[in-house]
Amino acid sequence: MLPLLGGVFLGWSLGANDAANTFGSAVSSRMVKFWTAAVLASTFILIGALLEGGSGIETLKGLTNLNLKQAVVSSVAAALTVTVMTFLGLPVSTSQAVVGAILGIGLLNRELNVAGLGKVVACWFGTPIGGVLAAVVLYKLLAHAFNRSSLDLVRSDILVRYGLIGAGIYASYTLGANNVANVTAVFVGAGKLSVFAACLVGGGSIALGVLTFSRGVMQTVGRKLVQLDPFSALIVVLAEGLTVHFYTFLGVPVSTSQAVIGAVLGIGLLKGINTVNRRTMINIVFGWLLTPVIASIIALAIYFAIHLQYIPG
Amino acid sequence: MLNFLFKKEHRLETLFFGYLENLAKTQEHFLKAINLCLQKGQCDDFVFLIKQTHKYESRADDFRDEINELMYSRALIPEMREDIMNLLETVDRIPGTMEMILNIMYTQKLTIPEFLAAETKDLIRISIESCDLMGRQIEVMFKRKEGVRALMAIIDQNETHCDHIEQQMIIRLFESDLDPFAKLQLKELIIAMGEISDQSDRVSKRVNILTMKRRV
Repeated sequence: MLPLLGGVFLGWSLGANDAANTFGSAVSSRMVKFWTAAVLASTFILIGALLEGGSGIETLKGLTNLNLKQAVVSSVAAALTVTVMTFLGLPVSTSQAVVGAILGIGLLNRELNVAGLGKVVACWFGTPIGGVLAAVVLYKLLAHAFNRSSLDLVRSDILVRYGLIGAGIYASYTLGANNVANVTAVFVGAGKLSVFAACLVGGGSIALGVLTFSRGVMQTVGRKLVQLDPFSALIVVLAEGLTVHFYTFLGVPVSTSQAVIGAVLGIGLLKGINTVNRRTMINIVFGWLLTPVIASIIALAIYFAIHLQYIPG
Repeated sequence: MLNFLFKKEHRLETLFFGYLENLAKTQEHFLKAINLCLQKGQCDDFVFLIKQTHKYESRADDFRDEINELMYSRALIPEMREDIMNLLETVDRIPGTMEMILNIMYTQKLTIPEFLAAETKDLIRISIESCDLMGRQIEVMFKRKEGVRALMAIIDQNETHCDHIEQQMIIRLFESDLDPFAKLQLKELIIAMGEISDQSDRVSKRVNILTMKRRV
């Protein structure tokens, strides 16, 4: 159990941070109580992880061959990267941290699946673009249907409110399905866990993070989304879910935050308003480039540190 | 089909339409009171109609309180809650103004002079018409149907017309031989009467903005 702690910690912090992308707008606008959202999110994260989490695990474990010690090092390195970058206030993607750490160890082993890595990196770039596209298409379609519907004001309000909860559930499901690989894939590669056990442990630790530590992030991050009108907030969450689900089919773990930013950008493009400022964009690009590099360096540093031997003089 | 799930929202809808019906009753009694005062001066029936107007104005406050309570118990999306509460507050100034006009007339023993009677009738008639249109406009907004802008245009036109009548009345009042103190009292009354169409216009513009906000 002890070797899994790094992964569990990573999953916990992922849950605490990323639940805001699924239920943040509903909670911060007080449409849903925190505990209702947390229970819904954690339940569907676990279901998503168990039903569709396997494909991402296959991809990540195929990037390189790790023994158990290396798996522990890479998961601790990824967790440290996420913690340090969050502490510095830099946008961070757990997926990029995990892949960066695996990459570091893979380089050390001189064994790296370049094609697999290429697919993963391409998907990273595709995530915000997917968010933009999904948001634009969904907004056009649903806004058209919404405006043409014969629903009165109260019923349309109910539709948006419950739509936002439904979208939150769907986005939670895709978060579990997509991101569980970040948490426990390395342990499957190292032969410590079966795919099912990895989904269970990974999904469980993400759910734990949601239940124990997501309230603050949900309220602060969610508030930024709610600055959009409720319908746009619904589209953003739905677009994020769809984007992340698409990459789940491809078997690549991606960042839900980057999908959200893409979706918000898409809404801005449609409405002709500036929804994401330049500073945020620069931070994202900076985070993109920096996260895998830092994770690689930390993984290598830990690996060298645990292999240092005291030689009496 | 799932109506039982959304009790608060349905209660809210019922209350809001109840409020509008109550507003129509307030208008009706206010109009009767003014017309009676113009015909017969202040009499027992006039006092009765003032009491009736007050009764419906108080009922409007009850509706408003219950709607606000429902809002605080998390009916509707927060953004919409705020919009509806603000709208209600703006509409609610109208029955208040009607009651105030009748109270000014009653407490200060004011009778409208003959030379202002026709214009007063016009001013009140158009103001009440604006209130009716405003009620219809709110209903259209609630039902998300077309026509909010067209109604706003008519209410706006009425408001301009009322402003013009109000101005003419004040000019004629100060050209008259009435006691200067009575002139000031009547001026206050005329301005209060003009306030009804002004407030209807404000509500109508707010409704138009809310309708635009609701379009996605």
